[in-house]
Amino acid sequence: MSALLIETHALSMRFGGILAVSELDFAVHAGELVGLIGPNGSGKTTTINMLTGHLVPVQGEIMVRGVRAHGQAASAYATMGVGRTFQITQLFGRMTVLENMLVPGLARPGSKKAGATRAARRHLEFLGLAALENLPAKNLSGGQQKLLELGRALMLEPAILFLDEPFAGVNPFLRDEIIVLVQKLHAEGRTFVIVDHDIEALQRLVHRMVVMARGRKIADGTVEDVRHDQEVLRAYAGF
Amino acid sequence: MTDYILIQALNGLVIGIIYAVIAAGLTVIFSILRIVNFAHGEVYMMGGYFAYFAISLLGIPPMAGVVFAMAASFALSVLIERTLLTPLYSPTTERKGDYGILVTFGISIFLRNIALIVFGPYPLRPPSFLTGALILGPLIMTWDRVFDAGAAIAMLVFLLWFMHRTAWGEALNAVSQSRESAAIVGINDQLFYMLAFGLGGALAGGAGALVGPIYSLSPSMGLIPDTQAFAIVILGGMGSVMGSILAGLMIGVSESMFVALFPDPSRSLTYAQAFSLLVLMVVLLVRPTGFFGRIHTALD
Amino acid sequence: MRAVQIVLCAALGVLVLAFPGLVNAYWLSVAILAIFYAIVTASWALLVGYAGQFSFGHMAFVSLGAYTSGLLVKWFDIPIPLGMLAGVVLCAIVGSGVGFVGLRMRGPYLALFTVAFSEVLRIIFVSEVEITGGSGGLEVAPLFHTRSDAPYYYVGLVLLAGSLAAMVALVSSRWGLFFRAIRENEAAAAAAGVKVVRFRVLAFAIASSFAGLAGGFYGHFLGILTPDIGSVDQMGLVVAMAVIGGAESLPAAVIGALALEALVEALRSYGEWRLVVFGALLLLTIRFARNGLLALAWEQLARVVPVVPAPRKTA
Repeated sequence: MSALLIETHALSMRFGGILAVSELDFAVHAGELVGLIGPNGSGKTTTINMLTGHLVPVQGEIMVRGVRAHGQAASAYATMGVGRTFQITQLFGRMTVLENMLVPGLARPGSKKAGATRAARRHLEFLGLAALENLPAKNLSGGQQKLLELGRALMLEPAILFLDEPFAGVNPFLRDEIIVLVQKLHAEGRTFVIVDHDIEALQRLVHRMVVMARGRKIADGTVEDVRHDQEVLRAYAGF
Repeated sequence: MTDYILIQALNGLVIGIIYAVIAAGLTVIFSILRIVNFAHGEVYMMGGYFAYFAISLLGIPPMAGVVFAMAASFALSVLIERTLLTPLYSPTTERKGDYGILVTFGISIFLRNIALIVFGPYPLRPPSFLTGALILGPLIMTWDRVFDAGAAIAMLVFLLWFMHRTAWGEALNAVSQSRESAAIVGINDQLFYMLAFGLGGALAGGAGALVGPIYSLSPSMGLIPDTQAFAIVILGGMGSVMGSILAGLMIGVSESMFVALFPDPSRSLTYAQAFSLLVLMVVLLVRPTGFFGRIHTALD
Repeated sequence: MRAVQIVLCAALGVLVLAFPGLVNAYWLSVAILAIFYAIVTASWALLVGYAGQFSFGHMAFVSLGAYTSGLLVKWFDIPIPLGMLAGVVLCAIVGSGVGFVGLRMRGPYLALFTVAFSEVLRIIFVSEVEITGGSGGLEVAPLFHTRSDAPYYYVGLVLLAGSLAAMVALVSSRWGLFFRAIRENEAAAAAAGVKVVRFRVLAFAIASSFAGLAGGFYGHFLGILTPDIGSVDQMGLVVAMAVIGGAESLPAAVIGALALEALVEALRSYGEWRLVVFGALLLLTIRFARNGLLALAWEQLARVVPVVPAPRKTA
């Protein structure tokens, strides 16, 4: 088995009196392409937010590459190589496309401007955004903004990338483009966790699926296993 | 000594009710327009002057002057809202939060300077509503304060009745819960922004008219009540009228107690002003969303 | 084209350096005050326009720097530059403190918190009469004992040029990039690896230090300090200067400060009305020219006069 990138033990999150995530055990190894699925309100985004440091769990452990990361700031997770995108695209709207890319590039310890710029241009080329580098990010189309957000996460040279609902509100054309990009990046050795509520959209892409319902993990296995899991069928039928 | 403290507590209660009126106005504006109105204290100040000039120039009786001040403050607020706040509702406006802060701060500076010229820097004192004092055993309270308390309670009761028992109030509440759903039901939101800002201004102006005979008027009088109102609104929870009333009473009484019990009397008056500011700072630090507030009205 | 720009700049430079010889004592003191406001306004623009931390407590740091230096020099007889340095250091420390406790607050809440902080500080300066002289004012040792104010002008000019150079260097560095990223989107900045806490506190500390520096200079120039310098009305003047010039550009903020201070004095015969005019100008600018009048004028100018380079699109 390849190296363990992220691992949680009994992770729980509570908002007010509501248990959003309960006793979650979850692990991702290097080179995996994992889908995290579940109906709306099942705790997927809360899980991502905990695994990237944007929420501090009320209970449980998070290990990033074997190091206890519980309670660290989101920026520390980013520096440890945990990248993410957001459900609703979060860019630096009034900064240029290149500047958006340079923020993570220059936030990395020991980075140099020239190197970061080179890396940024390489990623923008890969994403097909190279011609737009001097435009303010807010002037891009919705699809270009999604790609830019992915590019910004890539600038961290992340060991693991969390994509939160990358296909939500995306036209079929762009969806296919994103799938191809993810496959290419995965072939280069990157590890992904992709969150979505739609099994059909994910099954073309991922190798392993983790299913959540009502804050709990109810299944974890190959796409084939999960599709025939009785509990999963029941959870989805309920919605 | 105990009598003195009792009288101070009573005075604090009266002032607290007036604070609650100012704060209720602030919270009505916040819950509909989603802005923290930095110019609220200046509308309060203008209300005081409106009443003063209605009484001294137009010969309106002092009590009717309060009503006049509320109407004039309503008109002033609607004017401000129509000319300066409409970008807040436009989808093309960028950084609405920044705009709301800057524009209301700008309005406060503008009104204060206008007042300085038109009304002059010297304190003006409008005539009493009622002369004399109410004496109950050891307790003495001027009739002005008694009237103020009564009028302020009447304003608050009217506000609660309006918000909960009239179609207009319910519609306002619907807009405060969710702009989108209000739009779906077909409520003309522009009208409600106007109404809410006007109503909030009328309450502030009414409060300004009430305190005139007690404290006298000056162009900078809005500064401290403004921060007090903020402290009250945040303590009481943004968007909660009942919370504002409770918090207003709490702040009014504790402030008078602070003055009464401050060890160094020569400094107690200036530090009394700092008291509500410190309360505001502590409240912001400890509980940015307030103690009685509705969570959905909390700002990011 | 390039030659025209160089000649213009050189002419401006000569004018600035020769200024004390060209005007009377009154306008020289106006110029010194304008320089003071320029430093304050630029540092406020750094904090608000670049880092997006809405503070209405900036004048409190001016007064803190001014009183610290004034009091230290008065009571402990230390050299004035050392007193000013102490003011700057204290402002950096208190500024970090305000930045740190304000971390949980955003937008209007931070603005409220800083207004309250500023007023509390002003009330302390008013109330502690034995130490500060209260509203009557504190006598502060003058920096120079010359008959002309020209030395103040040149010292002020050096301070302004130095501060501005430092701030421009800062905003063009990676720290400036992080400040703007935090302004635009804090969650995204954190996800991009920007240490949001550190840079929010730093923004407050740095901007407050410049305010403290300007304050120290102001006190030792005027020779008397009153708590009014930290008032909300003074803050309003600085906000007007920054916003009318353009709060998202340091040079625009500086020009806004210089122009408004000159205008304040030029319109002196209109008495208090000029403050109303500024209030109105401020409101009109916020309403119709969000990026400031200067950016607006610059755009128009760039269209008509080919010598003027087109303005950069983003801050």
